[in-house]
Amino acid sequence: MKRMLRRQRALADYTLAALSRRWGKNLALISVFSLVVFVVASAMLFSAALKREADVVLQSAPELIVQRMVMGRHEMIEADAVAALAPIRGVMRAKGRLWGYFYDASSGANYTFMVPDDPALVPGPGEAIIGEAVPRARGLDWAGAPLFLSRRSGDLVKFAVAKVLSADSALVSADLVLMNEADFRDFFEIGPDVFTDIAVTIRNPREIGTIIAKAEKLLPAARFITRDEISRTYQKLFSWREGLLVALAGAAILAFAIFAAEKASGLSAEEAREIGVLKAIGWDTRDVIAMKLWEGALVSVGAFLIGTVLAYGHVFLLGAALFAPVLKGWSVIYPEFQLAPHIDGLQLSTLFLITVVPYVAATLVPIWRAASADPDRIMR
Amino acid sequence: MIELQSVTKLYNEGRPNEVRALGPVDLTIERDAVTVFKGPSGSGKTTLLSIVGCMARPTEGRVILDGKMVSGLPESFLTEQRRSTFGFVFQRFNLIRGLSVIENVMLPSAPLGEPFAAVQARAADRLARLGLGDKARTPVEYLSGGETQRVAIARALINDAPVLIADEPTANLDTVLTHRFLDSVAELRAEGRTVIITSHDPRIWDADLVNAVVEMQDGQIAGVFA
Amino acid sequence: MSQRPTTAVFASFAALGLAFGAAGLHAALSGPAQAARMTASARLVGQVGLTDLALFTEARYARHPSMADLHTAFQDNPMSFEHFPAGSFVPLPESLGQGRLGFSEAEVAR
Repeated sequence: MKRMLRRQRALADYTLAALSRRWGKNLALISVFSLVVFVVASAMLFSAALKREADVVLQSAPELIVQRMVMGRHEMIEADAVAALAPIRGVMRAKGRLWGYFYDASSGANYTFMVPDDPALVPGPGEAIIGEAVPRARGLDWAGAPLFLSRRSGDLVKFAVAKVLSADSALVSADLVLMNEADFRDFFEIGPDVFTDIAVTIRNPREIGTIIAKAEKLLPAARFITRDEISRTYQKLFSWREGLLVALAGAAILAFAIFAAEKASGLSAEEAREIGVLKAIGWDTRDVIAMKLWEGALVSVGAFLIGTVLAYGHVFLLGAALFAPVLKGWSVIYPEFQLAPHIDGLQLSTLFLITVVPYVAATLVPIWRAASADPDRIMR
Repeated sequence: MIELQSVTKLYNEGRPNEVRALGPVDLTIERDAVTVFKGPSGSGKTTLLSIVGCMARPTEGRVILDGKMVSGLPESFLTEQRRSTFGFVFQRFNLIRGLSVIENVMLPSAPLGEPFAAVQARAADRLARLGLGDKARTPVEYLSGGETQRVAIARALINDAPVLIADEPTANLDTVLTHRFLDSVAELRAEGRTVIITSHDPRIWDADLVNAVVEMQDGQIAGVFA
Repeated sequence: MSQRPTTAVFASFAALGLAFGAAGLHAALSGPAQAARMTASARLVGQVGLTDLALFTEARYARHPSMADLHTAFQDNPMSFEHFPAGSFVPLPESLGQGRLGFSEAEVAR
């Protein structure tokens, strides 16, 4: 056992001494390799954490949303519909929701105005509760600064800021402006008997299909969105294409594969001669292959470790700073959110396999012939 | 004692460019002696040397090493046999460029799994005895021809091989270095090692310490002189 | 005598392994605090009645992907966002939902 370990270490010594002869080139190779792993691992960790966050947080979303559709577009729904839905058997509660968008010309940001469902959270008249990004977008981040909103030129509405929502929930609340129902209707100049849509609470989630079937008869023009559909949207959010990141990473992987294949498989005459020398001075085919295995493993495992550790730091300690611009796009408001650190063993193993196995194979395959050639070749 | 019985070696066997490089030859090489294979290039002496040194397997015939038939052994056993019996000094020395002198000397012991410190001490000792103690850390490409050869000898002896095989060792050396090489051979001989050399250099085969000269011509043994 | 090359390299690997372990440890240790944070977020979602993340605020129809209009100009597909970058991330809905926008299999069969 000890002898075996010593043999392995001696072979690794040789590999490293041989690699260090072209240290600049090999360092560049490891850096590029680590960078590719870093990008892919960052994308994996980031999207997995985002999916998990969405999954947990949106568990509290309304079970069923009923919207009125006109010409394929979402329209305000009448209060009558609330009254129609409430008596359906299995419906615990049907309540009109009020929410809408406001484009703030002064900052160029889109806010989401909403009337909270929970009476405990409803602000008083002339007051608003705002998300953490709203003062940021307006450049007014001192405490107690009121919120002035202009709907058209010459118009100014003032809200006192009752509270700024904690940055801990920024991912769901960054762009919110919460106010009471009267202020909301007043601000958007809508009548008292319409709602944006209706949130329905259901006693037994398994009855949701039956309830929708009954509700469809009562409200033939409505659209029904279940919480399952909402969470499915978010489960698929990043796994569909994993977006531009993975597309970019894909190109990088391809470029690296070409580079690595060229580097690893192009067995130079010099290298073939060295393998001949090693065989001639008493190395076995197995020794040569074990030596090359060390080379492939040290480079690829090293790159994997460097890449994933950096990716972890990037996603969970630096808030995925490199991905923010990609997700942000044209948005003026972008939440300063943190993600719950989470390492998915299966995902990481997959990444490990796709990093290490191809590279080790690419280093081994070309030397196979040289390693099994007769040792006396070197003398001829 | 190494015995060859009607050994032949064909290269590119069965193909149009098939070459009979050797044989059939019968030969006995004594232990504790210095044997020289002489002959012009292409006479088959290097082929003979690689078969004697278990580097290549004969196409036909038998190789018997200390009473053991080695010509039929599978590769891994043959490698093991070779490792424990022979040390090689190649014509172009074949040191690994970019590695230091001592790293090169220690290379043959890498697959053996001996303690690193022991191997290192042994290598340093070999180098010191060959007058290269201060060059241990020098990359081999900065050595002179004579130094390179002595490094190759140190490498050949790192595993304490009882038989040293040298292929045209003096082809690139001047008279002074050739004499120094012969001194090294005399020392090895005194240590009780067997030395087998191929050469077309008269300075070698005329040397007093040579016990036997095998003359090669066209893949055949033209004569053995003791 | 100087060091063997493996000494430094194996030490770096050990350090990398430790960093890797530290990442795992960090994830495990921050678990409870993060779970509490997510619970608080989930409570806010319930209190306000939210349905979506505030990740894409560039256009009003992108803010609520799950509530989106199925009918907006210049879309590649009637159900996709043409807005960058939301449209690159948000997939088409799997089904049209249980609303009146499509025929159910039972209706087609009839």
